[in-house]
Amino acid sequence: MENISEKNLIYKENKDAIRVWNLTKKFGDLTAVENSTFTIERGIIVGILGPNGAGKTTTIRMITGVFKLENNSKIEVFGEDISKSKNKYKKNFGIIPEVSNAFSDYTVWQNMKFSGGIYGLSREIIKKRAIELLTKFNLIDKIHSKTKSLSKGLKQRLNLCIALLHDPPILIMDEPTSGLDPISVNLMREQILKLKAEGKTILITTHNMREAQIICDRILIMNKGKIIASESPDYLRKKFKSPSTIRCKVDICPPQQKEQLLNMFKFSEEGNHLLISSKNAIKDISILYQLSKENNLKISELKIEDTSLEQVFIHLIEEDSNNKEEVEKK
Amino acid sequence: MIRSSLHRSWLLCKKNITVYIKQGPVLMFGLLFPFFMTLSWIIGREISLDVVFIGIVAMTSFFTATAISPVILPIETREKSLERILVSPISLKENLLGIILASTLYSLIITTIITITLMLLFSIMFNSIFLVFLLFVGIGLMAILGSLLGLLVAGYHTDNFANIMILVNLVKFPLLFMSGIFIPFNELPSHMVYLSFISPLTFLTDLLRYCVDGSNYFT
Repeated sequence: MENISEKNLIYKENKDAIRVWNLTKKFGDLTAVENSTFTIERGIIVGILGPNGAGKTTTIRMITGVFKLENNSKIEVFGEDISKSKNKYKKNFGIIPEVSNAFSDYTVWQNMKFSGGIYGLSREIIKKRAIELLTKFNLIDKIHSKTKSLSKGLKQRLNLCIALLHDPPILIMDEPTSGLDPISVNLMREQILKLKAEGKTILITTHNMREAQIICDRILIMNKGKIIASESPDYLRKKFKSPSTIRCKVDICPPQQKEQLLNMFKFSEEGNHLLISSKNAIKDISILYQLSKENNLKISELKIEDTSLEQVFIHLIEEDSNNKEEVEKK
Repeated sequence: MIRSSLHRSWLLCKKNITVYIKQGPVLMFGLLFPFFMTLSWIIGREISLDVVFIGIVAMTSFFTATAISPVILPIETREKSLERILVSPISLKENLLGIILASTLYSLIITTIITITLMLLFSIMFNSIFLVFLLFVGIGLMAILGSLLGLLVAGYHTDNFANIMILVNLVKFPLLFMSGIFIPFNELPSHMVYLSFISPLTFLTDLLRYCVDGSNYFT
C-alpha cells in the first residue's frame, strides 16, 4: 500500500510538475492540438484558456492518458516519461471533470471506497481520508446518499473529494465552476487557493476570464490547437495593453453636450454610466473635467477600469486568427 | 504487482455487478428474455422434463453470460465514468478483466440457482456426481465464452447501448436457434449440423444432454 508522505518527498525533488514537448493530436483531417510545448512548475495554478474547440480538453486528455501520444510528442510528469511508466504516473493526478463522472448508482461512500481501492490505499486510510474530506467539503451528511440524488454543486464537491482522496500532487480541473451557483463558485475558488497553499500544482481549463485572472499564476492561451501565449495574467495585461475604460456617471447631460462628448470620445452607455474607451486615461479625464466645467455637466462618479484579461484574450485570439487567415490567403 | 492488478480488476468487477445488475437491458435480455422464450417453447407442447431442463439451463447460461458485458462500456461512455477509469491507474487489461469477471459471475450465480431449483423441481437424476460436476464445468465455460462474446460486440464504439443490444441479438439469436435446443441434432439436416458447430451453445446443450440422459450427439 502507498505511503503518501514518502511519495510527497519524491515530488519535492522535481522543480517541474509537467513538461510537454511537441504535443500533437489529429482526429482524421482535424488537428486538435498542434506542436504544443510547455512546462508547468510545481505549486502553481496554471489556467488553459481558449475558445471552444481550441484544444484545451484534448491537451488535458493527452496529459492524463485518455488519448495516446502521437509520434514526437513527449510528456514528463515529475521527470518521468509517461510513455514508459505505463499507468503508474496517473497516481500523480487528481481529476475534477466538468460533468460529474462518479458512478451515479453508487453512494458517496461507495464512490470514495472504489477510488481509494483503485489507487492502492488501505481500508483504514480510505476511511480516515474520506471522513476528513467529506467533513471539509460539507458532504458528510450525504455519505450514504446515492450520487444521482445529489445536486450539481454537491456532485462537484464529491468530485473534488474523490480527486483528493489519494493526496495527488497535481490537480487537473476541467471547468470546475461551470454551471455552479455563486456560493458554490466562491467555495470552489477558496478551496483551489487553499490547495495551492498546501503545495498542489493545479491545471485548470476555464472560460471564465475573471476566475483565471483571480486565481491563476500563469495562463496558457490556446487557439486552433496552438499555444499562443504563456504568461502571468498581470504580464499579459501589461504587455497587450488595450484601451482602458473610463466609467463615469453624468447626472445632468443635455443632448447638445452629449453630442459634443460623442464627437470627442468613443463611448458607450451602460445604464446611467458612460463608458469611454481611452488610450490615455489621464489626458482624457482632464479633457472631461474641462468639458464638465465649461458646460456645467455634473459628474458624480469617475473610475478608470484597467485592461481586463478578457480584453487581452479577445485581442490575442483575433490577432492570431487574422494572422492565420493572412497566411492561408498567401 | 499481479496481486494489486487482480485487486483492481476485482474492484471493477464488484462495481460492474453492483451498478449494472439492475439496468434495464441486463434484466430484459438476461432474465426476462430466456423466461419468456422458455414459456413460448414449452406451453402446448409435449416435451419431457429432461429436455425442458436442458433447454432452460442452456438458455439461462447463454443469455445471462451475454447480458452485462456488452452494456458496460456504452453506458460508461455515455455517463463519462469510463473517462474516470481511463485516468485512473487501471490498465485496459484490468478493466476488461473486471467486465469479464462480472459477466461470468452474474451468469454463474443466476444459472446455478436456476439449475439447482429445476433439478429439485423436476427431480432430475444423475448417474454419478462426476456428471453434476461436468454440468457445472459446462455452465462455467459458457459463462466465460458468453462474457467474451458480449465484450467483443461492445468493442463497437458507441454511447448508445440500444445499438449494442441490436448487434448482440443479431449474433445471439442465430447461435441460439442453431444450437440444437429446440430441434435435436438427429432431426437436423447434415449441413445445419455443421453450421451449428460455430455456436458455443451447441456444445453446452450436448454436454447437458450427456449429463442428464446420455442422448448426446458428439462422442
